[in-house]
Amino acid sequence: MAAVAQEKDTILFPLKIRIGADVFGPGYYLADKNTFAVEGFLSADRNSTISYALDAGYNKFSYSQYNYEYNSSGLFMRLGLDFNIISPSTSKGRYFAGAGLKYGISLYTHETPLFNDENYWGSSTGSIEKSTKLAHFIEASPGIRTELFSNFSIGWSIRLKLLISAGTGKDLKPVYIPGYGNGTKSFSPGINYYLIWSIPYKEKQIIK
Amino acid sequence: MNFNISLYFLSLYFILSVFSIVSCTPESCREETEILAGATFYKTGTGKISAPDTLTFLGIGNEDSLLYNKALKISVIYIPLDMNKDTCRFALTINKESDTLTFIYSTYPHLISKECGYAFFHYLYECRFTKNILDTIIIRNPVVTNKNEENIRIFF
Repeated sequence: MAAVAQEKDTILFPLKIRIGADVFGPGYYLADKNTFAVEGFLSADRNSTISYALDAGYNKFSYSQYNYEYNSSGLFMRLGLDFNIISPSTSKGRYFAGAGLKYGISLYTHETPLFNDENYWGSSTGSIEKSTKLAHFIEASPGIRTELFSNFSIGWSIRLKLLISAGTGKDLKPVYIPGYGNGTKSFSPGINYYLIWSIPYKEKQIIK
Repeated sequence: MNFNISLYFLSLYFILSVFSIVSCTPESCREETEILAGATFYKTGTGKISAPDTLTFLGIGNEDSLLYNKALKISVIYIPLDMNKDTCRFALTINKESDTLTFIYSTYPHLISKECGYAFFHYLYECRFTKNILDTIIIRNPVVTNKNEENIRIFF
């Protein structure tokens, strides 16, 4: 009798490995050909609330305006945890509402092929040769994911990023850091929209 | 299932809202882009800021364009340095007496912002001058940026 009661108070929660591909970056590229972004993530549930998460991607950025041209490209990676605030009995491994906390690094190359400046004495042009830098940042990423079909989900994340180091001096900050955004600002927001494939790897008995 | 559909539409609503806000954010240069060395006039002996009665200031080699033309009672002037050279000379006339100032400096690029682009900042090493009306020139802050700071003090 006691065993039956205990069985009613518990659920089998499926722990999953998830593989996600961002569709916002490629979609944004259709509107703005200067920013090319591909990225995805791999996560694994530690328990019903916490997942280990690894994001990785590639960005290529080019920008031109009346007084300068700029190019940047590189790989980035974010590593951290996702926290689901929905109770296990409601989420059942299919829904996520919560936030990620991650540490990010970006290995990028940037150059300024041409810039010019003018003053009382006339104009002057210059260029800054290509160099490779390593940037560091931290990120909080609130978001929502929901399962549409069996083991297939969609979801979005807003990315709120704080720059720790751009890997450059204060005079030649990067206009764009792959995986971060505007390197002249200490805060950079972003957004991702993911298509996600889930693979259940274990079932865990959880008390309701 | 209702929970599933609600989350789906909620997510769509949020992403479209955020995207529309981001898309409508205008990008324009709001920072100061002129790089000028700030010079403040002081009265010799008193050490107090003092505005000359009249002041004329121009770059030697660019005499067609006066930076200040018989300006009345100004105690601060802003001096543009030649980005293509490491020295430049100016003629300063205070109350009908003239002196020549020679600035010796280095120039380096600085990114002001994504919207404004790059400008050339300077590092002042030395200021040489004739002493008809001028007494002393002190480099107070050698880094010349876009912040309109006091870089030199001119005592007359």
